Amino acid sequence: MLTRKRGGGAAAIAVALLVVIVASIGLSGAGASQRSAFALPRGQTLYMSGNQWSPNNDVNPAKNWDYVTGLVGFNYETAFRYDPMKGTFIPWLATSGKWTDKTTYVMNVRKNVKWTDGKTLTPADVAYSFKLAKIATHPQHPLWTDTGLQGVNAKGNQVIFKFAKSHSYQQFDYYRYMVAIVPQHVFQRWSKTELATANLNLTSGKIVGTGPYMYQSGYGASSETVTWKKNTNWWATKQLGIKVAPTYVVDISNSSNAAALGNFAAGNIDLFNNFAPKSAIRGQTKTYYSKAPWHLSANTVWLFPNTTQKPLNDAVFRRALATSIDISQILDKAYQGLAIKASPTGLLPIWNKYVDGQTVKKYGFSYSTPKAKQLLAAAGYKDTNGDGYVENKDGSAINLKIVCPNGWSDWMTAIQVIQSSAKAAGIHLTVGYPDYGTMADDRGHGRFDLLLGNDRQMSNSPWTYYQYIYQLPLSGNQTTANYERFTDNAAWKEVQQLDKTPTSDKSQYQAQLTVLQKTFLQKLPAIPLWYNGMWAMFNTKYWTNWPSSSQNKYTDVSWRNYWQMTSIDMLTHLKSAGS
Amino acid sequence: MRRYLIRKVAIYALTFWVAVTVDWAIPRFMPGDPVDRLISRMQAQPSSEHALNSYYTNAFGFDVPLWKQYVNFWAALFHGDLGVSIANFPTPVWDLIRGALPYTLALLVPAIVLAFWAGNKVGAMAARRKALDNTVLPVGYLLTATPQMWLGMLLVFVFATTLAWLPVSGAYDLSLQPAWTLEFARSFLQHWILPFLALFLVAFGGWAIGMRNMIIYELEADYSNYLAALGAPTKLVRKYAYRNALLPQITGLALALGSVVAGAIVVEIVFSYPGLGTLILNSIENRDYFVLQGVFLFLIVGVLIANLIIDIAYVFIDPRTRIGMEGGA
Repeated sequence: MLTRKRGGGAAAIAVALLVVIVASIGLSGAGASQRSAFALPRGQTLYMSGNQWSPNNDVNPAKNWDYVTGLVGFNYETAFRYDPMKGTFIPWLATSGKWTDKTTYVMNVRKNVKWTDGKTLTPADVAYSFKLAKIATHPQHPLWTDTGLQGVNAKGNQVIFKFAKSHSYQQFDYYRYMVAIVPQHVFQRWSKTELATANLNLTSGKIVGTGPYMYQSGYGASSETVTWKKNTNWWATKQLGIKVAPTYVVDISNSSNAAALGNFAAGNIDLFNNFAPKSAIRGQTKTYYSKAPWHLSANTVWLFPNTTQKPLNDAVFRRALATSIDISQILDKAYQGLAIKASPTGLLPIWNKYVDGQTVKKYGFSYSTPKAKQLLAAAGYKDTNGDGYVENKDGSAINLKIVCPNGWSDWMTAIQVIQSSAKAAGIHLTVGYPDYGTMADDRGHGRFDLLLGNDRQMSNSPWTYYQYIYQLPLSGNQTTANYERFTDNAAWKEVQQLDKTPTSDKSQYQAQLTVLQKTFLQKLPAIPLWYNGMWAMFNTKYWTNWPSSSQNKYTDVSWRNYWQMTSIDMLTHLKSAGS
Repeated sequence: MRRYLIRKVAIYALTFWVAVTVDWAIPRFMPGDPVDRLISRMQAQPSSEHALNSYYTNAFGFDVPLWKQYVNFWAALFHGDLGVSIANFPTPVWDLIRGALPYTLALLVPAIVLAFWAGNKVGAMAARRKALDNTVLPVGYLLTATPQMWLGMLLVFVFATTLAWLPVSGAYDLSLQPAWTLEFARSFLQHWILPFLALFLVAFGGWAIGMRNMIIYELEADYSNYLAALGAPTKLVRKYAYRNALLPQITGLALALGSVVAGAIVVEIVFSYPGLGTLILNSIENRDYFVLQGVFLFLIVGVLIANLIIDIAYVFIDPRTRIGMEGGA
C-alpha cells in the first residue's frame, strides 16, 4: 500500500513532465518552417514592437492591415517612397516617373535590380503588380475604379499607365508608393481569390523580394517574433551607396501594452511603437522631440456629430459645441502632454504649409465658453426651463450622447472632458462606453449623436482627409468614411476636383485646398480635436543616431505603410552603439 | 455500472449540445456585423465595398438562413472544422488553436496535477501537527485567496523586474525560434517557471487547506478511533484517513477544472504567454468571434472530457460507488 502511495507522487510528476515534453514536440511541429534555433548577436540585432497584433502568418503584400511587419518595405518594395516631412516622392524601384501628356504617366523601372531568387526585376513585374488590383476583391481595387486608370503596360524599360480624360492625380500618387512590386514568376501560381484575400502561405519556405531584408524565420500562427536578415545583395547598396545597419531585425508581436512596456524597460526592445506613458521616457530612452509633445503626429482625432438630426444638423450649433471644448484639458488629462491640439482645419502638421492663415483666422474656432454661449444665444438656443442647459429652438430638450469604445481609456477621459466643457457652455451631453462592435455598427448606420474617430493616417495628400469627411453618396452603412452623414454635394465636388489637381500645379492645388478649408470651417461637419502621436521610443543602448527633430527627420515607426514612407531611412541611418 | 455510464454520458451529451449551441449563437447575436468590421479594418474605399461585402459574407457562410448556418456549423464541427478567423482571414481557427494549445497545456496540466498532489500531501502532513499546521494554514489561506493574475504580477515584480533572475514575459527568448535544441528547451523552461508558479501556488493553497480539514475530520471518525484503540500505528491510521479524505478532494478537482482554466487564461495574459488565453484576449480585441467560439468550444470539450474521466475514475477509487452500482450491500 505504501509503495502505491509513493507511486502516485511519481506518477503525478511523470505526467507533468510528459506534458511539458509533448508540448515542446507540439511547438517544434508548430514552427515547421524553422530550421533551427539560433541566438542572434545582440549588437547586430534590432528588436522592435508595436505593429503586430495579429498572428504572424500573413505574407500577402496586398493585405496592408494584416501582413507580417516589414513584408512591404523590408522584402517587397514599392515603385516610389513618399517623404511626408518634405512632401516629396523618392524614386525607388522606379528611377523616375512623369506625365508625358494629360492621360499618360510613364514610369522608368530601375535596372539591375535582382529578386532574392536571382532573377531580374522587369518592367513586366511592375505592370503585373499594378494589374493585380484589377481583381474586384483586391484591397487596392479602387486604383482601377476611382482613379480613371484604364491600362498598364510594360514597354521597353518603362511602364505606361493610360488614363481616361478626367482622372485623378492625388489618389494615383497614393498608389505609386502603396502598391508592392511583386515577382510575377512567383505570384502567377496563385489564383485570383488567393492573391486578393489569402495569406499566401510559405509553401517553399521563401519569400522572394527585392528589399534590404530577407525573411529568416518566425512564420506561424502562434509565433511571437518574425526575424529578418540583411540582404547583402540589396540593389540600393550598389546603386545608391546606402545599407541598412542592423544585420537582423526582430519584430515582436504584442499581446498587451503592459508586457511590451516591461520588455522595453528591460532593454529587450530597441524601437517601441506602442503608446506608453510619459514616465517611460527617461534614461537611455529617446524620442523624436526632446521636449513636449515628444512624438510626431500620425493622425487627427475627430469628433463626429450625426448631422442628420437636430440640433447637430445646424452648423451654428456644431460651431458652438466646437468652441466649448477645452482641448488642452484633454491633452493634460489623457495624454500628459504627449499629443498636441489639432489645427481647426484638421489637417496634420505635415500639411501646415497648405493651411491658409487668413481662412483659419476668419472662419476658425478656438476654445471659449463665453463665445460658445454667445453663439448659442444668437442662434436661438435658449435655456427656457432654467435647468442650466439650452433647449432646441422649438423648446424641446437637448440631450446628446457622446460615445467611445469601452476600454479606450484615453478617449474615455477625453469624452468626459468634452462633456464637462459643453456643460459649462450650457450644452447637455451624456457619455456612453459601448463595446467596440456596437459602436462601429451604430456609427455605420447613423445610430449615434456624437462619437470620436481617427481612421486616416498620414499620407501624401490632404485628399485622404477630405474624402474621409465628405465622401458621397451615402449608403445604408458607412463603414469607412463620412460617419457624420453630411450631404454637401458642392463640397464633395471640390474634393473630387482636388483629386484631379496635380500637386505639381502648385497654385491650382493650393487654391483648391484653400477653398476646401473655407468650406470645411464654415460648416464644420466634423470637429478636429487633437493629433494622435506617432508613438516611438528608442533604446540607445545598442543603436544610436535615431530620427529626431534636429537630424534624420524620418518617420520612426514600424507600422505598416510607413516603411515605404521614410521608416526604412531610419534603418539606413542607425549606428551601432558598440562601434 | 452500465446504467451509471449511460446516464453520465447522456448528461454529458446534453451539456455538450447546450454549450455548443450557446457558443454558436453568441457571435451571431452580438451587435455588429463581422464583415462590416473587417471592411472597416481594411479601410476599404466605398467603391470596392460591395464586392468585398458579398465575397466575405459568402466566405463566412452568412449568406444562408440562420437555421442553415446552425446545421452547417454542426456538420463542419463533426469534420473537425471550427471555421475561419475573421481578423486573420483565411486562417482556419483550428490552426490558431493548435499553435496556442501546447503552451496552455504545458502550463495547465503540470499546474493541476502537481498542485493537487503536493497540496494534498502537505495538507495531510499539516493536520494535527501543530508547528506545521500553524504555517500551512495561514499560508494556504493566503495563497488560495490570491488571484492568479495578481500573484503573477507579484512574481514578475520580484523575480523578473527586481531580481532579474527570470524573464519578464513570453514563452522563449526573443532571439530564438521553437526548435529541438537544448538552448530552446532551456529558454522555454526559464520562461515557464513564473507563470507555472502563479497557477500552481494558488491551487496548491486550496488543496492543502481542504486536505488538512478533511484529515482532521477523518481522524476523529469512529474507524480511526477504533483502529487506534486496536493499537494500529499512527502511520497506518493516517494512511486510511488520507485515502478517505482524498475522495471529496477528487470531486473538488472536477469542480475546480473550469476555474483553473480561467486562471490560466489570465496568467497567460499577464505573462504574454502565447497560449489560448492570449489568443482569447487578441480575439476579443479584434472582435474575432469565430476564434473565440472555437477556443471556447475547445475548452468546453476539454473540461467535459476531464470531468467524465474523473467521474469514471471515481467508480474505481471509491469502492462504495462500485458496490452500490453492482447492487452489493
